[in-house]
Amino acid sequence: MHGGGVVTGVGGSWRTPLLMALVVLVGVAAFGWPFLASPGSELGQMGHTNDASFLFVGLMTLMALVLLAEMSSGGVDAKTVAVLGVLAAAGGALRVLSAGTAGLEPMFFLLVVAGRALGARLGFMLGALALLASAFLTAGIGPWTPFQMIAAGWVCMGAGMLPRASGRAERWLLAAYGLFCGLAYGVVMNLWFWPFMGDSAPAGAGYLPDAGAATNLGHYAVFYVTTSLAWDLPRGLLTAVLTLLASGSLLRALRRSLRRARFDAVGEFADAR
Amino acid sequence: MALTPHSRLPRLLHPAAWWVWGVGLAVAASRTTNPFLLLLVVAVAAWVVLERREAGTTNALAAFLVVGLVAIGLRVVMVSLLGGGVTGRVVLVRLPEVPLPDWTSGVRIGGPVTLEGLLFAVYQGMQLAAILACLGAVNALASPRRLLRYVPATLYEIGTAVVVALTFAPQLVEDAQRVRMARRLRGHSPRNPAEVGRIAIPVLVGALERSLDLAASMESRGYGRAVHRTARSIRLAGLLTLVGVGGVVVGLYGLLDGTSPLVLGLPTLLLGVTCAAAALLVGARRDPRTHYRRDHWALPEWLVAASGTVPALVMILAGARHWDGVVPRQVPAELPAVPLLLVAAIAVAATAAVLAPVPPLLARSRATARTPSEPSRELVRR
Repeated sequence: MHGGGVVTGVGGSWRTPLLMALVVLVGVAAFGWPFLASPGSELGQMGHTNDASFLFVGLMTLMALVLLAEMSSGGVDAKTVAVLGVLAAAGGALRVLSAGTAGLEPMFFLLVVAGRALGARLGFMLGALALLASAFLTAGIGPWTPFQMIAAGWVCMGAGMLPRASGRAERWLLAAYGLFCGLAYGVVMNLWFWPFMGDSAPAGAGYLPDAGAATNLGHYAVFYVTTSLAWDLPRGLLTAVLTLLASGSLLRALRRSLRRARFDAVGEFADAR
Repeated sequence: MALTPHSRLPRLLHPAAWWVWGVGLAVAASRTTNPFLLLLVVAVAAWVVLERREAGTTNALAAFLVVGLVAIGLRVVMVSLLGGGVTGRVVLVRLPEVPLPDWTSGVRIGGPVTLEGLLFAVYQGMQLAAILACLGAVNALASPRRLLRYVPATLYEIGTAVVVALTFAPQLVEDAQRVRMARRLRGHSPRNPAEVGRIAIPVLVGALERSLDLAASMESRGYGRAVHRTARSIRLAGLLTLVGVGGVVVGLYGLLDGTSPLVLGLPTLLLGVTCAAAALLVGARRDPRTHYRRDHWALPEWLVAASGTVPALVMILAGARHWDGVVPRQVPAELPAVPLLLVAAIAVAATAAVLAPVPPLLARSRATARTPSEPSRELVRR
């Protein structure tokens, strides 16, 4: 019985998916503008200085806030707040504990499994909040935080949107998803600062504002393979292995706790005689 | 330096003022690759942290500085091994070059290392390190947690969840260590990867149980209570959000596409941003909650925020006008000029170390450290 989650609030039922779709579009532009901007466009011009990077830091901050506000509008009850807070604390604690071990972030294991148990909407909130909490815990707030929040929210939301499965099939599904996410998160997260490197990127691996999309894609592939793959692949593998080994019992435990949190007595007032 | 009697009392500066100051300084650093100006930015940030960081808080600046140094080192290593965008004339060393097939056009491994290329890598690395130092300084001066008190009411639940997370995280770490210790005493090896799952489950189940208790106690104290927002205000906020984000999408399309009319670009984007920001505030306008001991926003806050904004504005202007010394010439390598006006602009940010009130705990520890025979620096300065 995945999906549903603990939220009892109504409102924004059609608005939230629409808003999410729009924010995905903004995200595609924010992460992928080095490939999308046509030469001579305004963003292509901004690519010469660091203006575009700053623009998107501001935009992504606004998007994260707006999305979280919309998702929590219509009332999020105290139980949801508490469950989200505690799971985000677990994610943040895992990130703090694993700081220093290059790329081996067991946090993704928790995000994938909890996102699966919580469903898409709460999953997104959990992913974003877990990243924010860990940034607060390590006093590491910076321009990367909104990008990380939204990307981790997507990771967690995706787990909630995977097709229904149970038992061993679900475990393999989640493990494959974990491997994919460990890599994809790295690919996407490198993009936000890659244009920022400017000319100091290695030859043949830097962002060229006036070159076409194909050249820049090739350069980015070189950049990613030479600098980041060695970090992202272990992370994806670790997530997959942990999910295979432990997701079954963790999912059961999470779902049982979430069911307990879902009781909801709606009070009704009758007219006084 | 008597501003007002109030400003001299030890108190914490409003966290937003520190963030404006730090972001301003970071923007200034992002506009220049002049190593002397960047060093000055780092020095200003470090001095203000030394003078006005509350006693007993973690010093995030040190960690950020280490990361910045690593960034410089990484760039230098990468440029020497893989070459860079700057091709200079003065060859320092010639590394053995690995022949690569044709399809890897542009990529090279080894080859000549030029002075200009190395200097450029160092300058770029220093720029990143200076930006990081500014952010580290702000993280040290005003704990971002204190900003949580100023989230608009539309984000109240989210803010509460983050506060819950921050309160619970240390407990969870403790729980995990306890469970791990118990399992080690029973002879289980902590190196087994399956062990992570076996530790995670009791910790998480315990945490979720506690979260239900927490929810019950929150509910009984009126936390997490849904605010009575009228359906109209919710609908208005939702509509504004959709229009705003839609405007942002259209504006971004205009910016990405070179052939679209100019109106579709930045103006639409700004309109969208305004709408989306308004949506956050519409719901927050009639917030019925009372607040416990809000921070003041008085003269020192204005002054500190302004002292951070001045270098940002001057550097943006200098960059746009291509003043001498903002972006030093790379080829041929030369000693960058140090324009006095820019130095003065960055030095304005250092006045925050004097303009901001002393934090209370720091003031107390300074007062106790003060001995009659040795007057403190505070007294000398006055």
